[in-house]
Amino acid sequence: MHALHKILADKARPERTAVTPGEVVEIEPDVYSAIVGVNAGEAKRLAADLAELGVKELPLRDRIYANSDHASPAPTVALAASQNAWRDFYRSYGIKIFDGGMGVSHLVMVEQGIVVPGSMAIAVDSHGATMGAVGAYATSLGGGRLTLYALGRHWIEVPKVTLVRISGKIKKGVLGRDVALYVNGRLGQRGAYGNAVEFAGSFVEHLSMDLRFTLCNMGVELGAVASYIQPDATTLDWVKERASKPFKVFETDRDFAYDATHEIDVSNIGPQIAVPHAPDDVRPVAEVEGRRIDQAYLGSCASGRLEDFAAAAAVLKGRKAHPDVRFIVTPGSREVLKAATKLGYIDVMHEANAIVTNANCGACPGLHGGILGPGDVAITSITRNFEGRMGPGGEIYLASPATVAASAIEGRIANPLKYL
Amino acid sequence: MRITGRVWKFPQDDINTGLIRRQMYNHLPFHEQGKHCMESLDPGFAAKAQPGDIIVAGKNFGCGSSTPAHQSVMALGIAAIVAESYGKLFLTNCVSGGLWPISCPGIVGLVNAGDRIEIDTEGWQVRNLASGKTLACAPLPGFFREMIELGGEKAYLKARLARSAGA
Repeated sequence: MHALHKILADKARPERTAVTPGEVVEIEPDVYSAIVGVNAGEAKRLAADLAELGVKELPLRDRIYANSDHASPAPTVALAASQNAWRDFYRSYGIKIFDGGMGVSHLVMVEQGIVVPGSMAIAVDSHGATMGAVGAYATSLGGGRLTLYALGRHWIEVPKVTLVRISGKIKKGVLGRDVALYVNGRLGQRGAYGNAVEFAGSFVEHLSMDLRFTLCNMGVELGAVASYIQPDATTLDWVKERASKPFKVFETDRDFAYDATHEIDVSNIGPQIAVPHAPDDVRPVAEVEGRRIDQAYLGSCASGRLEDFAAAAAVLKGRKAHPDVRFIVTPGSREVLKAATKLGYIDVMHEANAIVTNANCGACPGLHGGILGPGDVAITSITRNFEGRMGPGGEIYLASPATVAASAIEGRIANPLKYL
Repeated sequence: MRITGRVWKFPQDDINTGLIRRQMYNHLPFHEQGKHCMESLDPGFAAKAQPGDIIVAGKNFGCGSSTPAHQSVMALGIAAIVAESYGKLFLTNCVSGGLWPISCPGIVGLVNAGDRIEIDTEGWQVRNLASGKTLACAPLPGFFREMIELGGEKAYLKARLARSAGA
């Protein structure tokens, strides 16, 4: 069995000794990562449905965390009212709220040691798979929320596993995000469709946690339902000071048969960029260098970690953003913002005339903090460049934090190498 | 169960939930989201679609965000979606809402816009009533089917709680 299957077997109710890809199992999650939502009617309906079902106490109450990360703090009256409806819902059931500024839900869950190796975590956010970087089974929820609240259970179709083995040492000016983009380009939006994806190989073994989160985050854009990296010394170092509870590291059996294996050598790649409107339409930056931009946006749960800020600051130090560019910086979490402030990265951003915001999802889902107008062109380190994601009629190029920073300086898509 | 309806065809692959219903409308009451359904791809669709119609789409329909974009489809009274395949979160959102997400490899080639089709959710088959041609669909897990037939996740839970109380 794969480690992910062992986690599923452990969390299956009744508990199982084994699970088989394709079957549907009912599991009891350790954590439900929720958000302070944006639709008032949805909160009211959920409360009414629970009342109708006669549910007064939530079986998972102490395992649910409501993060205010979408449109946070509220940019419009309508969204403020929606968020209050959700706060009312959470408070009436005694659910803990992280009410803004903590950061993006799935980053907060791992930073706070709530999701640890071996955890079974369900997220309302579609990028919940990010948490698989600590060796958890982390997946996102479409339907099933009412079942989760009412019964404390979730159904999971046991996935097959795709192995992506990445090897090689990246060249100067190339970042972990470039590798993630390259993988997305190579495998495509359905490259791990419906499967879980495991990242391994010599490149991953030497990768920091910050960039492991990036890889696992972008697994979602391969169509994967979960991402996973086998915990090692790097993971345990990162987790041990944070873990809020004891944890167990699961290991994949030596004879486990992957559904597919992809070998990817990244020694020779340059900076990568995904062009509008698909996260798998990935090219070398050189192909679109010089394209005019209106906005440069650094941040998101894909690339809003401290290392991303360090890479951007290295490019920006002593330089200014181009006067025609709105340069917006949104950290993934408060932990990142505090550390980046201490280390002087935020000062570099301010000196470059960046608009530095609180930690949240920001403009990535097009809700506030840098929405694009029709015809706007943005270069950004966010998760997806789907048509209209940051605002209808906008064009989104996805690139590494260093490429975003270099482009902010030039007002055009630029290769960061000359600034490093 | 047999569902018959007129086809609206969106043959592209990877139509994400933001194209089904833009994020900027996600705070609106669900019944109002219908008029924005698919507007990025066909601005006239919401006005022209009739209750009972069927959406036919390509691969990975509803990929991307977990946002409940299916509510905009349901608000129009669409009877079913038949796609080559689905984004997994959108698929379970549909099941939870009581909307049929039928997976039918080859469907884009089987039907033209405006054709009438019949979906058989027991024999797992789609028939083009204009051409008479049929295609097999991928069966949904049994409890997904039960959930949809009962009208969605709440009705399913009610039945389940009643069963366990009776047991």
